[in-house]
Amino acid sequence: MTAAAPEPTQPGTPASPSGRVEMFPPPPPPPPAAVPLDPAFVSDATVAVRGASVWFGHKVALTNLSCSFGPGVTGLLGPNGAGKTTLMRAIVGLLRPNEGTVAVLERDPRTDRRVQRAVALVPEDEAVPAALSARQLVRYTAALHRVGGRGLPDRCLGTVGLLDVADRKVRGFSKGMRQRAKIAAALVTDPSILVLDEPLNGADPMQRVALIDLFQTLGSQGRTVIVSSHVLHEVERLAGRQIVIIRGRLAAAGDHRAIRDALADRPRSVLVRTPEARRLARHLVALDAVRGVTVDGNTVVVSSPRAGELAELLPAAAREAGARLHEVRPLDDSLESVFRELLR
Amino acid sequence: MSESTATSVPAAATTGRRLPSPFTALVGYTLRACLPVRRWFGVLLPCAGALLFGWLSAVDSRSAEAAFGDVAEIGLFGLVLPLTCLVIGDAVLGADIRAGTFPLTWLSPVGFGTIVAARWLGGWIVALVSLVPALVLATVVAGIPEGATAMAIAGAAGSAAYIGLFVMIGTAVRRAAVWALAVVFLGERLLGGVLSGIAQISPMWESQQAYAGLADDHGGWRLLRDGTPNGWSAVVRLAIVAIVTLALASWRIRHLKPTGGDE
Repeated sequence: MTAAAPEPTQPGTPASPSGRVEMFPPPPPPPPAAVPLDPAFVSDATVAVRGASVWFGHKVALTNLSCSFGPGVTGLLGPNGAGKTTLMRAIVGLLRPNEGTVAVLERDPRTDRRVQRAVALVPEDEAVPAALSARQLVRYTAALHRVGGRGLPDRCLGTVGLLDVADRKVRGFSKGMRQRAKIAAALVTDPSILVLDEPLNGADPMQRVALIDLFQTLGSQGRTVIVSSHVLHEVERLAGRQIVIIRGRLAAAGDHRAIRDALADRPRSVLVRTPEARRLARHLVALDAVRGVTVDGNTVVVSSPRAGELAELLPAAAREAGARLHEVRPLDDSLESVFRELLR
Repeated sequence: MSESTATSVPAAATTGRRLPSPFTALVGYTLRACLPVRRWFGVLLPCAGALLFGWLSAVDSRSAEAAFGDVAEIGLFGLVLPLTCLVIGDAVLGADIRAGTFPLTWLSPVGFGTIVAARWLGGWIVALVSLVPALVLATVVAGIPEGATAMAIAGAAGSAAYIGLFVMIGTAVRRAAVWALAVVFLGERLLGGVLSGIAQISPMWESQQAYAGLADDHGGWRLLRDGTPNGWSAVVRLAIVAIVTLALASWRIRHLKPTGGDE
């Protein structure tokens, strides 16, 4: 508001000094403060999971999970048994959460069959109709979805590099080829939401690169692509946004840098190989970020509750100790251990 | 992946064979994927048994009608018909669900009723080209060629009802074969043997009564049972059994949680 503007007065306010009651319209409400969106949610969600819990007998697969997915590629990350497959099965409607809801394009995927026109799942399991050829499998899926293009099945098989073996029975395929046949069967339905459960399993390095390119292209076309994996670096390459699930709970969400940052501040053991091991150990033990140091020959094992801080302080400590660092590597960097720490 | 691989989803296409309708695709899938070689062996073995029953009747010293009456009741309608239909009926849906391949079909916009009807039709086609000719041949081999038409109608109607029943059992329970055998031998054979109310809805008894009524003049009267519809009335009863069981199967797969093969 500029200085020349009259001072707004609430209706019914006392009269001005001149004795005249000045009525001004009430001020417009202040613009809502830009509330940062929870990283587990997106503003243009096509898939919304709200408080979803799923259990099978005494085994709990998902616990009060809330998140959403929108156009682009989203990585679903978590160790084996974390609940990724259960979440994906709930998204496509193969199961209904015991509590909470899953909405796909604002519809219930379990009861509204129209959702199936928009969604495609590439399951992780090996179950494919082995008696069919790859071409028959894709044509069957195309026919069920009433996709009209005559050559569409072959183009999809070509997209995943299976056109040359399209008439071979799926039972003779390797795991990677089966996975690609399932991807072709999913693509032929032209889905706006593609759910891929560990799609890179069994693929060789060349195929991985091609499939990652394919998924990114699909995401850039405005499709919602949800890709699960338990391999951190794979998902980093694939998806700008990631959702981490551990033991059925949402553990972290956001872009891969945010997840990396979250992972950096977890306790871990770091192995340092240096000829001046004892001297370096003396310097390290004085640091707040170090919980313990073990020296064995020219090897120092440093235990730290704050790995990120240790990474910053270690070079300086080595400089002060005059120690040449031959090797620095984390000892417990398996994804499972990372996930375990993230959950604490 | 080959160099020709394109990293885009095809938007349109102009070449290739026309895609079938969903119903036709489902029937085709049933015939191609649901009945592998081992299942066909399970279908053809009881069909060969039917011919043996016919031959057994032919070598009996009694009249052809009397001998075939016994063989048809116990062998053809009591064993061959239910066992062959069990193999077929379980294959077309229950085995697909247990194998974890059913989500491929479930995850489509096709209605559940269409899925069940198409799977059933696929199974019935298999019965029509294997079981029904075997039953007809058995009748001819037994020396009653006049009863062949009645046997064809009874076999076709009985297999339609039985396959519907076994499709329904396959969607309802995991150990479908055990339950199906229990229904046939405990429910139909034992209880149906003494209770007309059960016999009236039993594919085993009603298919037998269909033959008995339609082949009345050719020794079929020996199989007639009081209190149970026969002839065309039995055929209608079998059609109703097929429709009701398929409706129940459709309702059941609506509530199914299909799992993958690894789960």
